[in-house]
Amino acid sequence: MEESIGRARCEELAKSSSSFYRKVYSEIEEVGWESLRRLGGDLTFFSFHILDKKGRAHILELQLDRDYPKSPPSLSADVPCMFTLEWSTISRLKDVMHQFRKHLDSLQEFWSVLDDIDKSLCVVDAKQPSRASPIRRIRAGKDCNIIARINFDDPKSLPECRFIGPEPVAVNYLYMIWRRNSRKWSKEKSFPENLECVLGTELPKPLGLQVEDDHQQVECGICYAQFLPTDEELGARSGTRTDYSCENISCNKSFHSLCLTDWLRSITTTRQSFDVLFGNCPYCSDPVAVKINMNKID
Amino acid sequence: MSSSGAPSHKALSKIACKRLQKELVEWQMNPPTGFKHKVTDNLQRWIIEAIGAPGTLYANETYQLQVDFPEHYPMESPQVIFLPPAPLHPHIYSNGHICLDILYDSWSPAMTVSSICISILSMLSSSTEKQRPTDNDRYVKNCKNGRSPKETRWWFHDDKV
Repeated sequence: MEESIGRARCEELAKSSSSFYRKVYSEIEEVGWESLRRLGGDLTFFSFHILDKKGRAHILELQLDRDYPKSPPSLSADVPCMFTLEWSTISRLKDVMHQFRKHLDSLQEFWSVLDDIDKSLCVVDAKQPSRASPIRRIRAGKDCNIIARINFDDPKSLPECRFIGPEPVAVNYLYMIWRRNSRKWSKEKSFPENLECVLGTELPKPLGLQVEDDHQQVECGICYAQFLPTDEELGARSGTRTDYSCENISCNKSFHSLCLTDWLRSITTTRQSFDVLFGNCPYCSDPVAVKINMNKID
Repeated sequence: MSSSGAPSHKALSKIACKRLQKELVEWQMNPPTGFKHKVTDNLQRWIIEAIGAPGTLYANETYQLQVDFPEHYPMESPQVIFLPPAPLHPHIYSNGHICLDILYDSWSPAMTVSSICISILSMLSSSTEKQRPTDNDRYVKNCKNGRSPKETRWWFHDDKV
């Protein structure tokens, strides 16, 4: 629906006499309307959605100058470093997409390392870290966290690590071991294996896994509560736990399906097919599909 | 018709209340740089002091933001305005209304009071000239009787400031 609105608006503008609009319209068409996500009113700002080789979703935001294509579009995206756009006056948006895709390809190993960390270590960054961030805070026991910075141009190399914690003794001890053993870091091994090998200790597992073990629950990304309040209006759903999580593995945000449907129903871009609402995760914007609970008291 | 500065909100829902209490705790533990919120027992209206970032046009200037939460927060965005005198900025009207997409069409429950504050401060910080929006007088005249900025159909000019 968002796509069709964007497209309709483009079409209307393209019908006007401005060659700028006509040009942008035809170039967006070349890239494909299904990739278009946000569209600024005057076609000078929009974003494209793109999946990389591993199926990770990325958004490329483009801003066009009025004298486009004389001056190249300015770009921003969730990447740790931007590529240098090769641009000439005959270049088109599809060339931008092509170069962006190549850039994403070059960052695959970087993101694989980060995904590996997120999957097997206890990462304590408060919110879902952006794909642009090369930094992870990793729990290394009760009294110490490691702040690791992954080199995005050589992701398997020894990362820069800082150690922090409330107990100077514990922190210094770990730092000392790190310094002494860091030459054991090997590009053949995965990041978690390397870290455990260098530090000579088993590191805590991700919170998500611990949570399952403990039968604890996570908070809803919308109402911030684990349990829905007890309320007559909610009927049988009173006091229930989060029961939906975003399918994008790197987001994985949990929600009460009730909160998520309430949100999706409050915005105009949501589509409904039978009893399923289709929209986007409020955190990562990846597509979500939630079943509506028709009778709240069941 | 609501009276000036007092949107006719219904009381917060249970869900809104709980979420705001958690945001408040988080704010107190980790307030965004450049902002002070004097906690009162009114959870539905926060008055936040914003201090212009050093090295920007608004350095050392202090402004007040008034944040009012709707009954069904966070499904709906809060109403955020500057109390007079509002900073001189190309996207801030003299009645305190702020032209910023995340306060209206681009709101999402993933945002928080704290993230809104940071966006507003970055909007101030990136301004290169202190001036009102070009349509200030017309807009403010149309907003008489304390109309909420959320009733305006905003047209977001650019992302530059």
